[in-house]
Amino acid sequence: MMASLARKEGWSLPVVAALIAAAVLLSAGVLMAFYEEQLYSAQQLKDVREEAQILAASVTAAIDFDDAGAVSEHLGALKVNPELQAGGVYDKAGRLMASFVQGNAVLPRGPLPEGAAYAGDHVDIVVPAIEQGARVGTVFLRASTEPEQRRLARYAGVILLVTMGALVILVLSLSQAALTGRARQLSAVNLQLHREMEERRKTEEALRQSSKMEAVGQLSGGIAHDFNNLIMIAKGNLRLLRKRLGPNAAQSANYIVSADEALDRAAALTQRILAFSRRQPLSPMPVRLSELVEGMGELIRHSVGEKVEIETRLPAIWWTRCDINQMENVVLNLAINARDAMPEGGRLVIETQDIIVKEAPPEMEDPVSDFIPGAYVALKVRDTGEGMSEAVRRRAVDPFFTTKPLGKGTGLGLSMTFGFVRQSNGYLTIESRPGAGTTISLYMPRYQEGTA
Amino acid sequence: MQRGAFLAVMAGSLIAAPAMAAAADSLEYAVKAAYLVKFIPFIDWPDAVFASASQPVTICILGQDPFAGRLEAQTGQKSGDRTVAVKHVASYDRADGCQVLFVGSSAVAGDALAAAAGAPVVTVTDSGVTPPGIISFVIAENHVRFDIDDAAAAADSIKISSKLLELAQVVRRRSPP
Repeated sequence: MMASLARKEGWSLPVVAALIAAAVLLSAGVLMAFYEEQLYSAQQLKDVREEAQILAASVTAAIDFDDAGAVSEHLGALKVNPELQAGGVYDKAGRLMASFVQGNAVLPRGPLPEGAAYAGDHVDIVVPAIEQGARVGTVFLRASTEPEQRRLARYAGVILLVTMGALVILVLSLSQAALTGRARQLSAVNLQLHREMEERRKTEEALRQSSKMEAVGQLSGGIAHDFNNLIMIAKGNLRLLRKRLGPNAAQSANYIVSADEALDRAAALTQRILAFSRRQPLSPMPVRLSELVEGMGELIRHSVGEKVEIETRLPAIWWTRCDINQMENVVLNLAINARDAMPEGGRLVIETQDIIVKEAPPEMEDPVSDFIPGAYVALKVRDTGEGMSEAVRRRAVDPFFTTKPLGKGTGLGLSMTFGFVRQSNGYLTIESRPGAGTTISLYMPRYQEGTA
Repeated sequence: MQRGAFLAVMAGSLIAAPAMAAAADSLEYAVKAAYLVKFIPFIDWPDAVFASASQPVTICILGQDPFAGRLEAQTGQKSGDRTVAVKHVASYDRADGCQVLFVGSSAVAGDALAAAAGAPVVTVTDSGVTPPGIISFVIAENHVRFDIDDAAAAADSIKISSKLLELAQVVRRRSPP
């Protein structure tokens, strides 16, 4: 019942329980007061009746012998009881023999009906005076009943206490309910706050990562650019030197070739750095990634070796626009990375997909705010290799970050890929878990005739 | 001087008395007759006095009867559980079965009281009679009152209710048992 009431009124269970407790307390108090009152009245009536009976028993002789003085004496003894307003003793014939009156009460004239009669603020009690079974007279007493206000005053204290108790219960339970509601609100707000903090933390980290890449890119790009010019000067001077030496060059040819090769390698390195820093000169052309991968089949198979099984799923038919040579480099690079992740062999999946992206995929590296929802051609390279820890995954595109042994990798492969993709208005995501392989996805914007 | 004046007044009243005596006497003895009957509920006789629970209480009037038949009017009236009977006797005799003996004159009081001493009978003497009986009427402030000799009652194994003792003008207390 309580539960249904609570549901109906929308109160919490403790409040309803408290209300019921208060009601029970109040009604119990009222009942008790009423019972006390009844008991008190009955006791008072009994007391006065006894007094009348004692008086009646003791004045029989005095009535009999018409001794008004003795009757008066007996009656006078009752005056000490302040409850008694009046008293009278009547003889057998109903003649008043003696009486007393306090205040402005008026004695009734006999003969009187026996018993008790309530009237207003008093009760009249009439008892017969009987000696040896014969009625010799009548005793009359009038006792004041307590006035309503006095009776109320007598119970006011109790009523006050009970009411206070009920109120305290009510207030406590109400405030408790309020507190519970407040606590629930607070915890909801707290949860929201935590969520927002977490979000903010992620955003900040992404921003930091992004600006780091930006800074590193600019710095290394600037250096690489100047470096490239210096290398070109060195190469040109080497060529001039070979010409000047002419036939004598044979002795020094080896040195010159070594230096030239070193310069070529340096040039390649600067090229990659430029790619990462998105400063390489690109010549974008419309291309279908499916066809591009298809055409690279032999090259990829050759590069990854026999231990790795290759699977291609190429349903994408949308065009995209990018530097085809660079894209081939990227695919090759990713395939080689996959191979390196699977030294014991495994399975390499290259997949293309036409896709409408509504919001940035959560695993997107560099979840920059400039992500543009729209139509993309996805190229995914998946391996069944050892995968990466989260920490490694986060730094995977950092330039010069590598997990390969010293001298085996430059740490520029993925960063170059990243730079190229971003320069081509695409996005790059890395999904990986230790032991669960890695999937690297490129999202290249769809190219349609007539649009940029 | 004052005493003389007092005596004169007294004498005057005595001379005037005979004219009013009849009316006053009749009221006085009506009251006394009523009292004689009313005493009974307040007196406890030894159980042996009554042969049965229904035996009436007998009031004996010794010698001349001043009640002029008013006492007989109460015969048969219930006083407590018992009815009241009235007898006229010339002298006290146990065999008469009196429970109350009224003595109206000093002339016979001495002998009668002496005869009744020790018997369970309540002797009642009229006002002015000497020696007084267990209960003796007195006139006080124009009212019929009485004295009680509770010591004599005790000697006769008679108990008188304290309510009655309380109304007596003078009480000779019984010695504590």
